[in-house]
Amino acid sequence: MREVNNKMLRRLYWKRREIALAIKRFDRSQQLIVLFLTLLSVFMLLPIVYILNHAFKPLHELFQFPPTFIVRNPTFQNFIELLSLTQNTFVPASRYLLNSIIVTFLATAGMVTTGALCAYALSKHKFPGAKIVFGSIIASLLFAPETIAIPRYVIVQGLGIMNSYFGHVLPMIAMPVGVFLIKQFIDQLPNEMIEAAKIDGSTEFGIFIRIVVPMVTPAIATITILAFQNAWGNAETSTLFMQDDSMKTLPFYMATLTSNLANSVARQGAAAAGALIMFLPSLIIFLLSQRKVITTMAHSGIK
Amino acid sequence: MAKILFNHVYKRYGKFEELAVNDFNLEVEDQEFLVFVGSSGCGKSTTLRMLAGLEDISEGEIYIGDTLVNDVPPKDRDISMVFQNYALYPNMTVFENIAFGLRLRKMPKHEIELSVKRAARVLEIENYLHRKPRELSGGQRQRVALGRAIVRTPQAFLMDEPLSNLDAKLRVQMRTEIISLHKKIGSTIIYVTHDQVEAMTMGSRIVVMEKGVIQQLDTPENVYNKPANLFVANFIGNPPMNFMEGRLQETDGVLEFQTRRFALRIQEKEAHQLRNHHQLVGRTVIMGIRPEHISFEEIALQASEHSVVSGVLHMNEFIGSDRYYHMEIGTPKMVVARAHPRYHFDEGTQASFAIDMSKALFFHKDTEKLIND
Repeated sequence: MREVNNKMLRRLYWKRREIALAIKRFDRSQQLIVLFLTLLSVFMLLPIVYILNHAFKPLHELFQFPPTFIVRNPTFQNFIELLSLTQNTFVPASRYLLNSIIVTFLATAGMVTTGALCAYALSKHKFPGAKIVFGSIIASLLFAPETIAIPRYVIVQGLGIMNSYFGHVLPMIAMPVGVFLIKQFIDQLPNEMIEAAKIDGSTEFGIFIRIVVPMVTPAIATITILAFQNAWGNAETSTLFMQDDSMKTLPFYMATLTSNLANSVARQGAAAAGALIMFLPSLIIFLLSQRKVITTMAHSGIK
Repeated sequence: MAKILFNHVYKRYGKFEELAVNDFNLEVEDQEFLVFVGSSGCGKSTTLRMLAGLEDISEGEIYIGDTLVNDVPPKDRDISMVFQNYALYPNMTVFENIAFGLRLRKMPKHEIELSVKRAARVLEIENYLHRKPRELSGGQRQRVALGRAIVRTPQAFLMDEPLSNLDAKLRVQMRTEIISLHKKIGSTIIYVTHDQVEAMTMGSRIVVMEKGVIQQLDTPENVYNKPANLFVANFIGNPPMNFMEGRLQETDGVLEFQTRRFALRIQEKEAHQLRNHHQLVGRTVIMGIRPEHISFEEIALQASEHSVVSGVLHMNEFIGSDRYYHMEIGTPKMVVARAHPRYHFDEGTQASFAIDMSKALFFHKDTEKLIND
């Protein structure tokens, strides 16, 4: 036991020494930058610390002044409140959660698949109008979603998919950022690799699945996260296209919890718990694919 | 294994652009090692890619064996191709890279294993089968690319500058390996390169291309000794052939090549040809002479006393086995001569050298075609 401890201590010592040496190797200005960045990252971490603590605060701590960051008497009361709040109503909170999960899964899968397929076609195939298509995809990045809300409503209504999962998923599927990012990645793959596969006897779809997708997993991981966040936090489709309450999703429910009431004081605890529930999946997805995403960012120079 | 036939093949990229390949006619024999050589942009790769099915054919016909392949997709042409940048699949192991084509052709598993192992043994990459391409050196990667090509035993191998990404030493080694590979598997190889040394050493026949047109199609010896035109003469050989412009002049029954500075007597055999067939006496022609047919040796100076020129030595390049002298003799371009390294002249000195006129080539000034073949 002692030996193990010693070993660990020794390892810790060397690790710290390594870091200390690394810092020493920096000159004065670099040390300042490291200090500044460290402080900045702590600052950036605050909302996450806050949201984690806030969800477990009992009522009197939630309204304490001056507010506190760290919870003193953690409790699950808020979560119980969130779930019991709607127990007697027509639609329980768990229904919203289920809707959210289904919609998020379908939409994320749809966004990533269409994005990657579209990017491959635009990147490695020459067809008349390809430039115009890509140009209009880029141009569509410039529009605020609000500007197209009404045409979108008309289309969704025309398709007759109001109050269905399709109504949630279809409007989200087109994802210009995804197409753009994955295309930039596929552009870097040498054409010869695809030609070699063609000569080896692969079909177009085979090339896409066996060669292209494995090569652009970092981009796909990034797009998965972005798509997931889009879909998971999306309340717009619930507000616009879902009149049936049982088809609405969790973000919509979260919004109604507080903001639809006359004052925004009531149900703060439930809101805090809900915020944590909304936040956790994003965090988990990000942590899982973090390494890949970082390669993407280093590669692409966007975001 | 099969013949390959190009029948009046054209390639045009844009409607108004120049032809990338212009009236290309060629018959590749079975089991031949044919090399396309030319400067970059001469259409050699385009021709190869049309044969592979990676580019559309604008006009004309290409046959592999007896089948017209114009509209056959690459995978059904029964060819394999090696690319300049290897084009391995980075996400697969060496084994998977080589087996990829076999798997797609639904070959039974144990046969795939056997074929891959056999190919790996031929190329001596058995020990790397479980590695990923990024863990291999350039030469090893190119071997894997070759393995991927030979494992399928196709009708023909197409190689698009497979060695130009390798360093000089490895390139020479891989060159001999590809030659012996060709002997071992004995199938048709079409090889594209811009390196004339590769073309000369590897090809059983060479196609010299420029601006999408075949300039000459012949054995390496003939391309070197009897280049069809100025372009081929200039392109093949290192250092390149020397060219000088002058007039053919008959004096006292002897035909001479005259410039403003000197006159060289043309030997009777060549003179006969020049006099009879072409009526070129009194007209301006271009003479080409290779560096190795210029000599500083005493014996040569005595033997060809009617073709001795003197010039100022400008620069010498010592390359070990030989020494190249660049000399100023009053022509616009310097003349390069090959000499034994023991001849060492200081730069700036005057020296006389003899030109072996029996090896001189004469070209039309306007058509740039060879006269004395």
